Amino acid sequence: MLVLALLESRARHGYEIGKMIEARSGGRLTFALPTLYPMLLRLENRGLIKGRWVEKAGERARCFYRLTPDGRRALAAHRKTWQEYVRTINEILSPGDA
Amino acid sequence: MRNWPDYVRAQLALPELTPERESRIVRELAAQLEDFYRDARDRGLDDEAADAFARAQIRDWAGLARSVRAADAAHTRPRLDRLTDTLVTHASSRTGVSLMFADLLTDLRFALRQLAKTPGFTLVAVLTLAFGIGATSAIFSVVNSVLLQPLPFPDAGALVRVHEMSPRFGRFSVAPANFFDWRAQNTVFSNIGMYSAASGTFDTGGGPERVTGGAVTWDVFSVLGVEPALGRTFRAEEDMPGNNGVIVLSHSAWQNRFGADPNVLGRTISVSGRPVEVIGIMPQGFYFPTRDAEFWQPIAIDPATATRGGHYVGVIARLKPGVTVGAAHTEMTAIAERLALEYPNNNRDESAEVVRLHDQIVGPIRPMLMTLFAAVFVVVLIACANVANLLLVRASVREKEVAIRAAMGAGRRRLVRQMLTESLVLACAGGALGVLLAHLAITPLQTLSAGSIPRAADITLDGRVVLFALALSLITGIVFGLAPSWQASRAGLGAVLKEGGRSSSTGGSRWIRNSLLVAEVALSIVLLVGAALLLRSFSRLTGVYPGFDADPVLTFAVSLPSATYPDEPDQQAFFNRLLTDLNAAPGVQAAGMVQTMPMRGGYVLSFEIEGRPIVDEGTDPSANHRVVSPGYFEALSIPLVRGRYIGHQDTAEAPMTAVVDQAFADRFFPNEDPIGRGIDIGNGTDGFYRIVGIVGNVHYAGLDANASPTMYVPFTQEVFSAMRVMVKTAGDPRAFANTARQIVRNIDPALPAYAIDPLADVVSESVGQQRFAMLLLGVFAGVALFLAAVGLYGVVSYTVSQRTQEIGLRMAIGAAPSAVMRMVVGGGMKLALIGVVVGIAAALGLANLVASLLFGVTPFDPASYVLTTLVLLAVAIVACVVPARRAMRVDPIIAMRQQ
Repeated sequence: MLVLALLESRARHGYEIGKMIEARSGGRLTFALPTLYPMLLRLENRGLIKGRWVEKAGERARCFYRLTPDGRRALAAHRKTWQEYVRTINEILSPGDA
Repeated sequence: MRNWPDYVRAQLALPELTPERESRIVRELAAQLEDFYRDARDRGLDDEAADAFARAQIRDWAGLARSVRAADAAHTRPRLDRLTDTLVTHASSRTGVSLMFADLLTDLRFALRQLAKTPGFTLVAVLTLAFGIGATSAIFSVVNSVLLQPLPFPDAGALVRVHEMSPRFGRFSVAPANFFDWRAQNTVFSNIGMYSAASGTFDTGGGPERVTGGAVTWDVFSVLGVEPALGRTFRAEEDMPGNNGVIVLSHSAWQNRFGADPNVLGRTISVSGRPVEVIGIMPQGFYFPTRDAEFWQPIAIDPATATRGGHYVGVIARLKPGVTVGAAHTEMTAIAERLALEYPNNNRDESAEVVRLHDQIVGPIRPMLMTLFAAVFVVVLIACANVANLLLVRASVREKEVAIRAAMGAGRRRLVRQMLTESLVLACAGGALGVLLAHLAITPLQTLSAGSIPRAADITLDGRVVLFALALSLITGIVFGLAPSWQASRAGLGAVLKEGGRSSSTGGSRWIRNSLLVAEVALSIVLLVGAALLLRSFSRLTGVYPGFDADPVLTFAVSLPSATYPDEPDQQAFFNRLLTDLNAAPGVQAAGMVQTMPMRGGYVLSFEIEGRPIVDEGTDPSANHRVVSPGYFEALSIPLVRGRYIGHQDTAEAPMTAVVDQAFADRFFPNEDPIGRGIDIGNGTDGFYRIVGIVGNVHYAGLDANASPTMYVPFTQEVFSAMRVMVKTAGDPRAFANTARQIVRNIDPALPAYAIDPLADVVSESVGQQRFAMLLLGVFAGVALFLAAVGLYGVVSYTVSQRTQEIGLRMAIGAAPSAVMRMVVGGGMKLALIGVVVGIAAALGLANLVASLLFGVTPFDPASYVLTTLVLLAVAIVACVVPARRAMRVDPIIAMRQQ
C-alpha cells in the first residue's frame, strides 16, 4: 500500500521509492533492497504497477514504476480499509465518555 | 566504479527465469546498487567505502534469489530448457575447447524443443528406429554370444578337436589305440586328452536318477586349463582299469545333490551301483563335454589293451604356444597316415583333422545366424528409409523456418549440423528404446533357440551389444539425417519466401522421397521372399512323414549298470520283464525297444551279403543298424511290407534273423527277393542273419534326410545294456510317464527311467533350428512389411495434404470423387509397383544365400515370389486408400479458401 501510494502522484524508480519511504517515515521505516525489490516484482506481476525503462538526458537508464488503473483501484480500496481500521482502533482507544 | 551489472549477475542465480526477465532484474538491481554507491560518494565517502556500502545493501543473495523466484513465478522457463542451459553453462565455463561442445548442446536443446513440438512425428520415428535397432541388437546378441565370445576356458583359442577322417565316412570318432599313438608322437600339443560322454545312476535321497557326465583321461582338465574349486582332479595312476574308483563333481551337482557340503570330499558315494570316492568339485560354470555334465570319471582305458576297431572317443588338445591350427593339422595328418600304413586292417586310408573347438561347436550354425543377421540389417535399412522420409516431409514443412534462419545469417554447415543433431537425437532415443526391446527379447530368444542352437544358454546382452547398438544408432542417425538436412539447407531462400509462406516440395526432394520409398518396398520384398521360402520349406519339412507315427508314443531310456547286471542273460531278463509289465499296463497298445533313438544320430554298420563275397575291403556295403525288441514296429506303427516282424520266437538261441526296410531291399536286392537271404553284419565273425521280413522306410537321420537303408536285428541276439523304450498309448502319451517310471522301479528300485519324452517332441526338436530361422525371419519380414506400409501411407498422405487445393479445384470443376481416388491411389501404387519389381529382382539375385536353409523348395520357388508380391500389393493398396479417402472428402470451397 505504501509503495502504491508513493507512485500515485508520479512514476518513480526503485531506489527513489526506498529512499522516500525512509524519508517520509523520518527514518523510522526502512525497506532494504532485498525486501523492496521482490515486492515491486510481485506488484508488477499482479498488474498493479508497471515498470518502464526510461533514459532521461544526462542520466542513466532506470526502471520507473507507475500505477496501473488496477493499481489505482487497489490503492483506493486499501486506503479505505486502512482508514476504517484506524478509525475503529482510534474509537476504541480514545478516552472519551467511557 | 565497479561494473554493477556484472557484479549482480555473478551473485544472483536465476536460471529458472527466462533470459529476458533475468536480464531485466539484473539491470534493475545493478541500477539501484549504483544509486546507493553514488549517494555514498556524494556524502563524501571514498570509492572503496562507497562500494562497500552499496554492496552491504544485499548480503543474502541466495535469499534474494528465492524471493525473486517466488515473486516472479510467472516468468519461469520450461524445465527442459533449464537442463540444457545448465549443461551449456557447465561446458562453456571450461576451456575454449568445449566451445564446440557448448554449440552442440545449443543444437541439442533446439533439437529437443523441435521434437517436443511434434510429438506424433517423434513417437513414430523413435518407435520405428527402436524396432529396427532393437531387432538388430537382439540378433547381434545371439551372434555375439554364440559366434564371437570365446568358450569359457582360459586361452580357449588354443583348444582344438582332433578327429579321424576316412574317405568314406568323413569326420568320425577316434579309436582309443590311435589316440595313444597320437599322444606319444605329436609335437604340436602341450596337452592332449580323450573323453566320451557318460551317464550314471545317482541316488542322493530323491530316488535313483540318471545323470549325465563325462569319462575323461586324467589330464583332460589340464587340456582345458581349469583347476578344481575344491579338492583335486585325477592322477595318472587313477586312469587305469581297477584304479578308477574316483569321481569329480560339477558345482551344480555339489550344490543340488550334496547341499554344497564341503565334507563331501573323501566321501564314498554310489554311482550306478559302484562305490566311488569324491575327490574334487569343479568351479561354477565349468562344463564339458556337454552343458548338463554333472560328474567326471577316469575313462580308464589301458594303452596296452586299447583297440583300433571301435571308434567312440573324442579327442581334445591344447596347441603349444605359437603353433597354428594348420601346422597341427599337417603333423596330425602325417601321424595318422603313418598309422594307416602300420595298421592296414583297421586304419586303412585313414587320416586326421584338427579343428578349432569353437569352430567345431558353432561352425554349423554360422550360415543361419549370418543370414538372420543380414535379414535384420535389412529391417534397419527399412527403418532408416522410413525415418528419412518422415524427416524429409518435415523438412519441407519447415522450409520457411530454415530459409528465415539462413537469411538471418545461419551458415549452411550450421543448418546441416542442426538438422543432423535432430536426427541423432531421434536415433539415440530409438537406440535406447531398442536396447530395452532387445533386453526383453533375450529370454524368448533363449527359449526359442534352446536345443537348436549351440551355446543358446550363453546368450546375453553385454557391453559389446550395447556398444553395437550405440554405434548402430549413430550410424543410422547420420544415414537417415543426411538427405533431409542437405535437402533443407539447399532450399533456395527467395523461392520459399516468395511463395507466400506456403511450403513447397521441390522436384528434388520428391525424387529423394520416392526413391526411399521404392527402396523400402524393395527391401521388404527381399525379406518377405526369404520368409516365404523358409515358411514353405518348413511346411514341406514338417509335412514329411518320418516313417512312423510319433503322436501316440512315449519314449524313455533305461540303462543297466554293469555292477548289478554283469551278464547278458541278466540284462535280457530285465528287458523282457519290462516289456511284459509295460504291455500289461492299462492303456498300452504296444511296447518295444531300440538301441538308438530315431532322429538322434545314426548307427551305421557295414555288412556282407551271403553269396556276394566282398572284393575290396573298402567297398563293402553299409546300412543303418537297429537292434529292436518284439513290439518295436507295432509301437511306432512301422508297416510290414512282406514277411514278418521280429517276434518273441527270435530268442538268443533261435537262428539269427534280420528284418530290412524297403530302401534296403531296393538298394541291395534290386531284382531279387531279399527274404531268405543272409547278411553278415559287422566284422564278419558272427555268421549270417537270415532276412525274414521287409518293413516300411524310416527317416532315422532326420526329416530332411532321405530314408537310408536300415537293417533290424533282435535285441536278444545282439545285446545292449542301454535301450530306448517306445510305448504306444491309447491316450495322451505324457500321461503315461509316471506309470512308466513306476513300472521300472517295481522291477529294480535302484534303476531310474530317464529322458522321458513324447516321441512327437523328439521329432519336433529335430527341426528346431529350421523353426528358429523361419520364425525370426517371419517376424523380421512382418516388421518390414509394416514399416513399408507406414512409409507408403506417410508419403501418400503427405502428397494428399500438399495437393489439397489442386484436388479441391479438380472437384470444383467436376471431377468425380472416384477419379480423385484413382489419381491418389495410382500415384502411390506406381511407387509400390516399382519397388516390387526392384525387390523381386534383388530377391532373385540373393536367393542362393538362403539355399542352404531350404528343404524341398528351390530358392526360385515361383509360388513364394507370387505370394509375396500379392501380399505386399494388398498392403500397399490399404496404405494408399486410407489417405485417398481423405482426399475424396476434400471440400472444394474450403480447399480453395486456403489460397
